Amino acid sequence: MHVRWLIPLGTGAAAVAQVAYAAQYMTIAQAQRAAFPAATSFDPVQPTFDAATLTELAAPAGWSPRVWQARSGDQRLGWVLEDRVIGKSELITYALALDPAGAVLSLEVLDYRESHGGEIRLPAWRRQFVGKTAHDPVALNRDIKTISGATLSCRHITEGVQRLLQVYERALRHAAG
Amino acid sequence: MADVIQRMRPWLGTFVEIRAEGLVEAESARVIEAAFAEIAVVHRRMSFHAADSDLARLHRAPVGAGVRVDARTREVLECALRIAAASDGCFDPTIAAQQVGWGFLPRPDSPFAPDPCASWRDIELVDDDCVRLRRPLWLDLGGIAKGYAVDRAIEILIAAGATQAGVNAGGDLRLFGSRTECIHLRTSGGFHEIVPGIELTNAAVASSAGLRTRRRVRGRWQDTHVHGRERRPVGALSSVSVVAEHCIVADALTKVVLAASVKASRAVLAAFGAHACTHDSWHGWRILEDAA
Repeated sequence: MHVRWLIPLGTGAAAVAQVAYAAQYMTIAQAQRAAFPAATSFDPVQPTFDAATLTELAAPAGWSPRVWQARSGDQRLGWVLEDRVIGKSELITYALALDPAGAVLSLEVLDYRESHGGEIRLPAWRRQFVGKTAHDPVALNRDIKTISGATLSCRHITEGVQRLLQVYERALRHAAG
Repeated sequence: MADVIQRMRPWLGTFVEIRAEGLVEAESARVIEAAFAEIAVVHRRMSFHAADSDLARLHRAPVGAGVRVDARTREVLECALRIAAASDGCFDPTIAAQQVGWGFLPRPDSPFAPDPCASWRDIELVDDDCVRLRRPLWLDLGGIAKGYAVDRAIEILIAAGATQAGVNAGGDLRLFGSRTECIHLRTSGGFHEIVPGIELTNAAVASSAGLRTRRRVRGRWQDTHVHGRERRPVGALSSVSVVAEHCIVADALTKVVLAASVKASRAVLAAFGAHACTHDSWHGWRILEDAA
């Protein structure tokens, strides 16, 4: 175990920088292959919902999950659904794989971006760093790989998955083919 | 050449990121899958919410009855009791009564109401897989099980031969390997205040902050963290990061530092070979090294 503190001690040091943490874990194609290694094709499906259903599902504005049917020749192996959720300060794209009966096979985060929308949501907070961030001497801020901090809740993704399971119930369960 | 494989899934109420290096891709995928499976077991066994968790079965059982639990649950309880004893109860896994009372946790399915005098001392580890509660109490392992899950996951990656690995459960993390990495810390202030905080090799870090986790309950801001001995909310405006060899220790010790005095915290940190820093808007950053 080796530890060396880098934190700026005291209140005077203003090494706080506005940063955006982002990581891509998988592409949608990788997630499709990981969930259905035997699939020979992933056919796009376009489920559509009327306004009443969208309200019932508490779908956020602009909600439009992408859906693929995983097939091996004539056989349906299941479904892959891609959706995005916006949390307090994060934007997450994820893929949910379902078997033909609608049971969850896997759930993978594809893309995770933090501090999304920070400028818009917290203009006052943002302003205090105007002119500071450009001159920030801390080069370490440019490559953020690991953050320790108070836990971010995954509640939004849980709600997103519930909504995708409704997509299955309403649009995919009885789909032809 | 072996690549860096990194995956993220929602577990333990947060996002868990697992990174493995030094394995061929197919092997990485298999090992990361196994590590996530282990995290899932810890999640299910130690969940306060799930009706079939070990905690739920302890809460349903009559007081004084021996309840069989998973070896992992037993291991977490043993560590929890060790830290509770060392911190004179500042960390106490029996604070669920307060968390239920303050609206952070749902009332469990339980034949009894918790005894206000019950504490960690009323948890009896009977044998390798049996636990008994001497008084009516509700357990919450939320302050320690996440760190344990991180340890279990990284040990799977190490055993599989990863040369460099990292597991990060929403900020409670552990690194393995000879490479030194920079861990950024999120402060208790604005959402995007992140500073380069610690240079770390082969160690774990966990952080807790009141401001980011508190919630509005019945119109008032309520802090999630509880002083184990005094049963009052703590840590409203500060954040704490603890570095230790194991993440289970780092995780639990963050609650000790939030609750205990600086002097008492230093003694507990020293006893576990751990280090800590705190941040609040009044004092800024402080390192809690042993004065000796």
